[in-house]
Amino acid sequence: MGLLDYYRQFEGMPEEEVNRGLREEAAERRRKALTRVTTLDLSQTTWPELPHANIVNAITFTARAGLQRYPHLRGSRLRSELAERHELPAGRLIVGNGAAQLLTAATRALMEPGQELLTSWPSYPLYPIMARRAHGRAVPVGDGETPLVDALLAAAPEHNTRVVALASPNDPTGELLATAELERLLQGLPEGIAVLLDEALVDFADAQPTDGSLRLLEEHPRLLVFRSFSKAWGLAGLRVGYAVGGPGSEELLAELEPDLGVSELSQSGALEALRSGAKPLTRHVQSVCEERPRLTAELRERGFEVTDSQANFLWVAHPKLEGTELATRMERAGVLVAAGAALGEPRNVRIALRNAAATARVLSAVDKALGSRAQAPADSAG
Amino acid sequence: MRSDPSDTGGLFVGRRPGTAPVRYRALPKLGSAGRQRVDRRLADAMLAMMTVLSLCCWGPIPIACLWIGAQIDYLSGSVSLGILSSLVGLLVLLFGALKIMRNLDEAWILVRRAAGIDQRSGALGRVFAITAVVCGAVFGIWFVLFNGTGSMVTPGNGV
Repeated sequence: MGLLDYYRQFEGMPEEEVNRGLREEAAERRRKALTRVTTLDLSQTTWPELPHANIVNAITFTARAGLQRYPHLRGSRLRSELAERHELPAGRLIVGNGAAQLLTAATRALMEPGQELLTSWPSYPLYPIMARRAHGRAVPVGDGETPLVDALLAAAPEHNTRVVALASPNDPTGELLATAELERLLQGLPEGIAVLLDEALVDFADAQPTDGSLRLLEEHPRLLVFRSFSKAWGLAGLRVGYAVGGPGSEELLAELEPDLGVSELSQSGALEALRSGAKPLTRHVQSVCEERPRLTAELRERGFEVTDSQANFLWVAHPKLEGTELATRMERAGVLVAAGAALGEPRNVRIALRNAAATARVLSAVDKALGSRAQAPADSAG
Repeated sequence: MRSDPSDTGGLFVGRRPGTAPVRYRALPKLGSAGRQRVDRRLADAMLAMMTVLSLCCWGPIPIACLWIGAQIDYLSGSVSLGILSSLVGLLVLLFGALKIMRNLDEAWILVRRAAGIDQRSGALGRVFAITAVVCGAVFGIWFVLFNGTGSMVTPGNGV
């Protein structure tokens, strides 16, 4: 290095040159951010979008109006709005901290220690837990071949059955219990057995009217129906659900209510959702109902076993691929799905439904997962 | 009283002006400790040279220009030519000295960095200001105490 070059190396870069470099770095960062594909989480059954601004505004308004007060203990305004929506007397409807809380409370109120709760399996994992909490026992029913109602009618007299807990549509299989089948079950069960029907996902069903089960309440007082704002309404964080019973169920329903009521913030959010004309609900349901048959058909074409779902997800199994392996491969392809092992059936995965873009990504991930399956033996042979 | 420009109550987060680190195209390779000592002495010499040049701007250069103008006036017999040549000579010499000082100042920064000192800015402004004050003070002392103002109250030597 020459003498002058030695000193020239201590020359700093001029401002324009420094800024040009920084601008190029920023442009590169933006380009990378735009091309990065984030993992699509389809493992949850809750709706992923943010709630409507009006709902958030209503909650904020209530918070500013004064949190020093106790809430309406019986959720009177929300209760009457829901009762009007379902054309039921307000006394036969109660509001709770999510359908799960009401289901647990109902099991505790109905079951004596040692009694049994029948449920289909795989189903919502809360049912065995709530049987245990009531010091009872959960009995899984169904072999996959016998119709569920027949299996339940056969099993009920054989056990010390007090409660039948069913989800319709069922989580994780997505199968809907037809109103006629439900009526057959209600008519055929021995005396003294209550039916807890969890309809948290019923808003996504389009195979029959969503209030079909509620029409059976008049003639079947053993039936209790539970619904939620957590799924199709997209308000899981509010923890609001409600239970509906038949004539004479008022006393039991009063027992299920939370002791100090539901948070006033949650009530105001749910109330605003109802009063806003159910637009978010309609949009979510429409999106799911459009994508459900399309994704079902596409997956069946690729050799998957797909149950006839009426929920916002599909219950899927591949004849040559374990559920955990399929979920891992799909995660590598950027789509997160729920492996069936944790839901009661290791062969399956549960894939939530969203919109056309999500469906396209699911199919792309499935193709990549099957492709890597096909390559695996070739690789090992090589 | 707030004296730190970056003290904005946390609303803006930034660096005080002039405190940004120097960015090099490639990290410079510093010389040995001996070379750095030599560079430090060289930088001092350059600073002294700048000081001398700056002092020249406040006295010797104008005096030299006036002397040249007087000689031209004497030789040509033209006062205008003498004044013009003084003026042109003054401008050329002053701006020439400033240009040399500017180049010296830039070189001084590089030599100081080569000596291992985190030198961000030059010293020309300060040198120019200090020499102006020193020369002004010297002129004032000479004018008041030795030469005299030349007024009727205190007649000076020049009268």
